[in-house]
Amino acid sequence: MTLITILGLVLIMIGLWGMLTQKNIIKIIIGFSIMDTGVHLIMVSIGYLKDRTAPIIDSAVDQANAVNTVVDPIPSALVLTAIVIGLAVTALMLSYAIKLYEKKGTLDINEFKELKW
Amino acid sequence: MVNPIYIFILALGAGFLLTLFDKAGRKVSLTIFYAVLAAMVAISAQWLIALLGGSETAMIFTAGFKPPFSINLQMGLEEAIFTLAVNMLGLLSGLYLIKKFNATKVNAMVLFLMMIMGINGLIMTRDMFNLFVFMEITSIATFAMIGIDRDIKTLSAGFKYMIASGIASVLFLIGTIYLYRFSGMLHIDSMAVALDMASSQATLLAVFILLMAIVIELKPFPANGWALDVYEAVDSGVVAVIAAGSSAGMLFALYKITPLLNETLLLTVAGIGITTFVASNLMGLMQKNAKRLLGYSSIGQIGLVAGVFAMLVYLGYPINGKMVMLIAGGLFINHFVAKAGLFWLAGILNKENTEDWGALRKKPIYLFAFGAFILALVGLPPFPSFFAKWQMVMIFAKDNQFLVIAFILLGTLLEAVYLFRWLGKILESEVKEKIKVSFAQGLPVIVATLAVLGLGIYSATIVPGAGSLNIFYLPLLLIAALFVLDFLPVWVKNTLVILLMGFYTWQLLPGLEGYRFLFGVIFLVGGVILLIPGYAFKGKRVGFYPFAVMMYTGLAGLLIAENTLQFFTAWELMTLGSYFLIIRGKKAKPHALSYMLFSLGGAYAMLSGLGLFFSVNGNNLDLALLSSITESTSIIYILLVIGFLTKLASMGLHIWLPGAHGEAETDVSPMVSAILLKAGMFGLVVVMSAIQNPMIGNVSINYVLSWLGAITVFGGNLMAIYQEDAKRLLAYSSVGNLGYVLFGLTLMTHLGWLTSITYALNHFLFKALLFLAIGGVVWRVKTKNMYEMGGLIKRMPISFISVLIGIIALSGVPPLSGFAGKWLTYNVLIEKGWVLQGVVLIIGGLIAFLYCFRLIHTIFLGQLKDNHRKVKEAPLPILIPQVIFMFAIMFFSAYPNMVLRPVGDFLIKYFPQGAINWQNGVAFTAFGHWDGLGVLMITGVVFMAVFGWLLLTNRKTQKVGQFNIVYAAERPSRPELTHVGYNFFAHYRKALGVLSKPYAEKFWDGLSELFHSTADFIRKLYTGNGQTYLVHIIVFILVVYAFAMGG
Amino acid sequence: MGFEPIKILYAVISLFIIFNVGMLLNGITRKIGARVGRRHGIRFYQPYIDLVKNYALRSNISHGIMFYLGPVFRLTGGIGVYLFIPVIYGSQYFSNFSFAGDMVLVLYFIFFGTLGMALGAGESGHPYSALGIGRGLAQVTAAEIPLVIAFLGIAVQYQSLSITEIVGMQQGGIMNWTMVTNPLITVVAIIAFLGSMMRSPFDVVLAPQEIPIGPPTEFHSTFLGVLQTNRAIFPMAKTVLFVNLFFGGATNWGILILKAFILYMVSVVVGTVFPRFRVDQSIRWFYKYALILGVIALIATTFMFK
Repeated sequence: MTLITILGLVLIMIGLWGMLTQKNIIKIIIGFSIMDTGVHLIMVSIGYLKDRTAPIIDSAVDQANAVNTVVDPIPSALVLTAIVIGLAVTALMLSYAIKLYEKKGTLDINEFKELKW
Repeated sequence: MVNPIYIFILALGAGFLLTLFDKAGRKVSLTIFYAVLAAMVAISAQWLIALLGGSETAMIFTAGFKPPFSINLQMGLEEAIFTLAVNMLGLLSGLYLIKKFNATKVNAMVLFLMMIMGINGLIMTRDMFNLFVFMEITSIATFAMIGIDRDIKTLSAGFKYMIASGIASVLFLIGTIYLYRFSGMLHIDSMAVALDMASSQATLLAVFILLMAIVIELKPFPANGWALDVYEAVDSGVVAVIAAGSSAGMLFALYKITPLLNETLLLTVAGIGITTFVASNLMGLMQKNAKRLLGYSSIGQIGLVAGVFAMLVYLGYPINGKMVMLIAGGLFINHFVAKAGLFWLAGILNKENTEDWGALRKKPIYLFAFGAFILALVGLPPFPSFFAKWQMVMIFAKDNQFLVIAFILLGTLLEAVYLFRWLGKILESEVKEKIKVSFAQGLPVIVATLAVLGLGIYSATIVPGAGSLNIFYLPLLLIAALFVLDFLPVWVKNTLVILLMGFYTWQLLPGLEGYRFLFGVIFLVGGVILLIPGYAFKGKRVGFYPFAVMMYTGLAGLLIAENTLQFFTAWELMTLGSYFLIIRGKKAKPHALSYMLFSLGGAYAMLSGLGLFFSVNGNNLDLALLSSITESTSIIYILLVIGFLTKLASMGLHIWLPGAHGEAETDVSPMVSAILLKAGMFGLVVVMSAIQNPMIGNVSINYVLSWLGAITVFGGNLMAIYQEDAKRLLAYSSVGNLGYVLFGLTLMTHLGWLTSITYALNHFLFKALLFLAIGGVVWRVKTKNMYEMGGLIKRMPISFISVLIGIIALSGVPPLSGFAGKWLTYNVLIEKGWVLQGVVLIIGGLIAFLYCFRLIHTIFLGQLKDNHRKVKEAPLPILIPQVIFMFAIMFFSAYPNMVLRPVGDFLIKYFPQGAINWQNGVAFTAFGHWDGLGVLMITGVVFMAVFGWLLLTNRKTQKVGQFNIVYAAERPSRPELTHVGYNFFAHYRKALGVLSKPYAEKFWDGLSELFHSTADFIRKLYTGNGQTYLVHIIVFILVVYAFAMGG
Repeated sequence: MGFEPIKILYAVISLFIIFNVGMLLNGITRKIGARVGRRHGIRFYQPYIDLVKNYALRSNISHGIMFYLGPVFRLTGGIGVYLFIPVIYGSQYFSNFSFAGDMVLVLYFIFFGTLGMALGAGESGHPYSALGIGRGLAQVTAAEIPLVIAFLGIAVQYQSLSITEIVGMQQGGIMNWTMVTNPLITVVAIIAFLGSMMRSPFDVVLAPQEIPIGPPTEFHSTFLGVLQTNRAIFPMAKTVLFVNLFFGGATNWGILILKAFILYMVSVVVGTVFPRFRVDQSIRWFYKYALILGVIALIATTFMFK
């Protein structure tokens, strides 16, 4: 387990902590974002191989021997997708937050309990 | 063949371009939108046809590489079925939402397309990360779609959904990336091969995390509050897609990762699923909001599908084998169609409270649709879930998973409670307003109705033993025809049904042997006779004939059933038909509900018994093998008998009967009382003739049942004497009478069975007669309270004679046929030596005199009430069958040998010893003798002699007026003052004290209260706070982890 | 056993004898009751005078067809019960019509008259009639508890339901009587007998003080005459039945009348001594004491004779 993985885990925990404890919807969204970032870090750390270069085939990398010189490119690719998706979700959440605030004039999550049981 | 990738290309392309086309006008963009949805349907449909025709599963590779190095999509049979279902849903829901799409920005259409496309992706992709992407596409599109509604409830529900979904996606990513790390692949199929689960705890953990992501999306109890909020708040058209479509996609995702799961995890999923099913149906009990209720039901159903699927895989059934398809697939598609349909209906009605759905009554088609969806969800024939459930119980029983069966049946029963309560509410409500259904909103509902029916019929052809179900084809066709022909006037339909049923009886009856013939006479000949009163009804009597025929179909099916599947199908058809007959009564709704619930409970006990039977007799459905089983005999016996006793309304299981029979319509009461109750007896005869004298330890089950029979006689008759309502009195009397039937059967001797059959025949005759006569009276005087009647002998003499003959036969006073039963009872008691039960039984029988007298006195004798001075005799169609039954009783009384001798002859096959010795119509047993005709003639002669003597000695008799009585030299001013009728046997109640208390009702009320309050307690979990829901999810995962991985 | 036309003649003779015995016993009973109460009382043949008077009355009103038929049902029931009992053991001709059925028939035929009378009285529309019937039926069902138990008991004991056979098995001296061989059941039977004889403490049905004579309130003249005829026959029929089942039956008329007289007097004595139960009290009494005693007797019988 690399340091980055641990860092990712810590971020996830912080994010989750934020989501569970903060009453303000914006803060919850921030918590989610932090958690998401933690996940991304973990993903990158999985693909990381020590002492290798970025998986871009250009002059710096020997094409024939690329498999042994670059880090695993797939996690990186995945992370890019995940970041995009995370961004979309975060954006949507924020727009929800705006709408919710418009309706109720508050961002306290405890105030949105019309539906229950 | 069109490449399935076009599904995505079309959806994405249209998604990007719609905004552009919208500039040319909403009509253009809408046309393209629907064209794309239709094209998606067409592509899936075409693949399904091809694959069914034998084509190979198609693999679609991207980026020019083969997997595992590329993302690939797959189009196999399962994918074709699922995508077709989802795309159909998309098209229909799209149509349903046309008004919304017209009104809002073009974005709505785009998002909708993305939702459908995302689900398609979920189904088709074979790549783990791609699965994540499609999951997110679906989710994001859904969130955005939800967000279009600017309602505060919708928005807050959507936000909660996002939080839950966010956690799920985080889990999914972590799981995926670690699985990639351990296997080096993202291709799901290769991953399963590459991973060695047993060796690494870490791998297992990764799989667990991934699994949890999918499980959370499947809304497990209790981590599903967000989903309930979404179901409640979101627009019906959209929520139909979420509840049916998204769930389908996630279920398919679960299906795909199943190869990764080890036994523990499979069991975990099974446990979660079934717990969710039971818990959410329990909580549904307290729900009044229609869409939230549907939400509870949805969550439960998804849990059921997932749980049953995992269980099947755990038990070693091939993941894409026939059993999984039939059971899990059947349950799924059933839920899919029915729930989509119900959510659409919810949108059409636009009523939050389930109690306000009465407007459906003005729209018979949609009422029919609603009924079909409800029945499908509960799992009654002819819907897919019925066959799925049947097969599931058989399979699970074979593998000894009885706990699972018990929980699933419990959950189903709970679901039935609130669904049938809802149906009953609709059927009883007074309709004030009308609803308008547009074509676009109506069509999807109708398609769903047809689909669920069609799928049901399809299931009936693929379930093992399907061939034998052909006996139901013609009757079901007739039922369908009757639904279509329901616009005809009642006399046309009545004639039609009488003719067809008469013809069917004519064909069927001669082929039946032994007791089947006897029951055939009761069920079918009796059925035809009891259809005659139908002519008294005016108008159309919508919905009567299809269900009457359904009930008789079930009854006839019981007679000719050769295997357990036929038997159970017939049983459920009968229950269903009779439920809809009973519920027609004005105040019958709550009673019809309890009838249905007891019937279902009994049917489930029976189903478990049949499952156990299936497992111990070498997986054979043949009913005839019942006599040759050697294992678990007693348990099978008990389970089956419980099933039949609910129908027979034995004490403790009887509480549904008085209301159901008492509140039913005039001609339905005799049907369900005189005929339907005998179905329970028929079942007992089938079981008892096969399994002789089962024991638990040293105790003979039949001995216990004989006590139950005796107590039933006593209790039923005792309750009958306290009734003020004439029809309830008769209903309680039925409870008592069937106690004799049960008692006789449990004796397991020739005379015992003869007694039982004699009682059954008599009960059939006199109860039909009495219910018709009393029904005729109620028809005219418009009240069922006896104390409001009186002196009606002057107005309704024929009805009076009917009741007179009926009560003499009922009470067992010689010379009429009822005495046959009493005489036989004494004989069997001495023969068998069970005299203590006999005392209870006979005293119970004597109490019958009390209510017999009360019935005839309070209604026909005493003082005629002022408002009844002009009532007419009952309508002729109600009188005709009475005359028939009276003649039948007189014939039976005069020539008991003509009836009992043939019965005895076939009983010799089962009980060769102790038959009656007939000499010239006189019956001899080892103990006594009885000459039916002789008694009748002696009585007649003495009666005539005394009558002649009275006429001779009497001078001119003066007829006097009603009030000309010895009344302290006064004339009573009102008939009410001198008509003693109310609380007639108060002294009896006072004398018996505790014996007269309704313990059974208290017990069941208490049980119901317990369930409801538990439900109310548990559902308080769902506080409505998004953060609490998040806590639920986290705690859920930790608990599951502790269970699944900790041990 | 079968039917021969000559039996009708003997049945009529037998009926005539028992009718007169019943009439006389009615008169004697009332006389005894009066003497116990320190009154002079009626002449013992007074019931005949009453009967003739009632049949001779001219005024005659009817409340309807069931009212008219009620007494007919009642008397048919009384006569029927009697006719289904073999009266004299061993006599071809005084076995009445017992070929038609056994003691179960007799037991249930008792209700024929009761039910018919109830209907007739019901149509009269008089509240006291209805009250009387309500009480009567309720008490009858309760009083049947010991009766049913007693019947079941002797049926178990003799393994037969045929009265003739049961009497047959009691022949040969007092030691063979059910009274001796099974005293417990006999006690239960006596309780049942008391309960069905319409005398104190179980006579609330006709309770003269509360509901002037109960069910027959509206019946008068000829109708009352028919009912009185029945009142002579019906209790005697029951008495003869009990004599047959529990006290060895009789092989000639003398013995029969003697035994019947003694048994009848049991109910008279008890009735004269005890005050009246309220109807709920009598029901409760039967459901409590008679039932418990009966069940004990029945269990004992089952053990003794199996």
